[in-house]
Amino acid sequence: MRSLTLFTALLIPFGAYAQDRAPILMDVTETHILPRFAQLADATDTLATTVQADCEPQSDTLRAAYSAAFDSWISASHLRFGPTETDDRAFAMAFWPDTKGFTPKTLSRHIKDEDTAVESPAAYAETSIAGRGFLALERMLYDPAMAEQGNVAYRCALIRAIATDIDRNADAMNADWQSFAPNLTQPGDDSPYRSGDEAMQELYRALTTGLEFTADTRLGRPLGTFERPRPNRAEARRSKRSLRHVELSLIALSDMAARLSFDHPEIAADLDTAFAQAIDRAQSLDDPAFAKVDTPLGRIRVEALQQSIHKIREIASIELGPTLGISAGFNSLDGD
Amino acid sequence: MTNRRNFLAGLAAASLTPASGWSSVGAPVYLAAGLFPDGSYRLSGLDNAGAILFSIPLPARGHAAAAHPSKAQAVAFARRPGTFAIVIDCKSGHVIKRLTAPKGRHFYGHGTFSADGTRFFTTENKYEAAEGVIGVWDANSFVRLGEFASGGVGPHDIRLMPGSDMLVIANGGIETHPDTGRTKLNLPTMLPNLAYVDLSGSVLAKVELTGAQHKNSIRHLAVRSDGLVGFAMQWQGNQIKHPPLLGLHKLGEIPRLLSAPERQQSDLQGYAGSIAFSTDGHSVAITCPRGNTLHRFDVTSGALMNAYTLEDVCGLGAGAEGLVFTTGTGAFGSLNAAHAKISSRQDCQWDNHLIPIQTTD
Repeated sequence: MRSLTLFTALLIPFGAYAQDRAPILMDVTETHILPRFAQLADATDTLATTVQADCEPQSDTLRAAYSAAFDSWISASHLRFGPTETDDRAFAMAFWPDTKGFTPKTLSRHIKDEDTAVESPAAYAETSIAGRGFLALERMLYDPAMAEQGNVAYRCALIRAIATDIDRNADAMNADWQSFAPNLTQPGDDSPYRSGDEAMQELYRALTTGLEFTADTRLGRPLGTFERPRPNRAEARRSKRSLRHVELSLIALSDMAARLSFDHPEIAADLDTAFAQAIDRAQSLDDPAFAKVDTPLGRIRVEALQQSIHKIREIASIELGPTLGISAGFNSLDGD
Repeated sequence: MTNRRNFLAGLAAASLTPASGWSSVGAPVYLAAGLFPDGSYRLSGLDNAGAILFSIPLPARGHAAAAHPSKAQAVAFARRPGTFAIVIDCKSGHVIKRLTAPKGRHFYGHGTFSADGTRFFTTENKYEAAEGVIGVWDANSFVRLGEFASGGVGPHDIRLMPGSDMLVIANGGIETHPDTGRTKLNLPTMLPNLAYVDLSGSVLAKVELTGAQHKNSIRHLAVRSDGLVGFAMQWQGNQIKHPPLLGLHKLGEIPRLLSAPERQQSDLQGYAGSIAFSTDGHSVAITCPRGNTLHRFDVTSGALMNAYTLEDVCGLGAGAEGLVFTTGTGAFGSLNAAHAKISSRQDCQWDNHLIPIQTTD
């Protein structure tokens, strides 16, 4: 009978040994993560300021500020760990998918009750998470059904409350990321990441989870099944941002993948090619809200985009994962 | 058969005695699904040292299986969101029946027979409504008789409470829809629970994980002969937190959550795959394939007894010396006081669960 130690030792991938993770951890943290949260805090600040001056849902100025801030969030939303996860902040930024329609129900209830929580940012932050964030604001700006409820003054107060809450949330994330960053760049006993490998694995998980979410949820929900496509389930379809979110997330994930694979030029090249194809397919798809998934041609194009993301996922798990010491175990990958 | 008799003599609880029907196939002690080198997924019967006594192909990746309390029959499930389960005559290796989830539902991968062997219960997702249901099947004909609400979202494991007509269900709390694969759709609002129901589905008791634990998905169950329920969890919250992944609950009492010291708890990466009580019932363990770790606790004190490092460990069950385990690298082994001892190594990847063949009355 062989000893257990021997079995274990033989099964650890060779690539996992003795790599200096510090340069990549520093690069991803300083050049990829922190600027995204700083940018988000800036853009949401503009949104919160704009909405004080102009809360008319149809306003071009307001909608432009909304769009820029939402862009910044989508470009950071794959970094869903550490300060982003605290207090459900990521869900408070974008409560989606909303399979049970909690967002319109929550907003309608606020309007009907003229809930005074809109008068205090601290109070609004304590209301249902479904009534917070960019998808709630989208309802208020783009959903005609909302524009018919209650009175103009309350709707304006609600729009301001949601925008202010988004800004506060973004500021909190930005501030906390500044203080959390050393945990990633200096893993060890004082960090939740005890080694460079653990910190790298967190970043790798953010990459693969981000790819999975974009392929399976952002594209999978509107695709539905061939017999029953679901264009009404597309993310942010009312503001026609669904495809834009796919493109922005791919661009952000591509940047992160390039940094993570920096020490392995062949893998970096494979990832770059695959991302370029997916981004190209997204950019040439003329269907901003995936409304055409219920036509044969429209569906094929969205499926092709989804396939090209699956290809990136495959390269990440087969080529990149093992170099980062990611366990590729049969059960550890199962998630059941 | 000497080994087997010795093994049985070592079992403390008479309730673990396998029924006679099983001896005809070379008396497997466990069932396990796995992936074999030719790419086939198979359900295998194992002896108490992990040797394969029979092996039957499955149409796709399996998850768990349920052994009939008296006949040499087992129901093997597809991995979620699968829609098939097959009833296998473990003597001949033939598929006797095929269960297909009704329209709008898929299986989660677990099921259990009633004590008298006349009914079979399956955990299912009624996915358009995002409601958990329990399918009720005639355990002879495997005709579907009906269904009832599971008492929550995402029912995963289900067990029969010993000496009763009561089921305990692990409602994991996570909403999924087959259109979006395994994507979790309701994490901010998820609310897992442990539901106790009678065989017609009336909820007798429900234990919810609320507050800071609301993202701790209850997935897998083990039941001790006195009705103590062990549950294993999978953390869906912030990964820099390391909450308990094992709970114990006795009806009418408050659940106890068991955790290793922070340093060791953080090895587990928030994910437990299987849970089992030891044969003497004094200890309870969880397997943690992401952390390549098995943690064993003392049931009475709730303290961590041992932490074993085991590559891709997941399957877990009661065994002659206390507990046995399988791994995704094909190993089968047992735990004694301080050591994990691998007794066989098959050329396959054992899947999540190891199912002891036993009567439950």
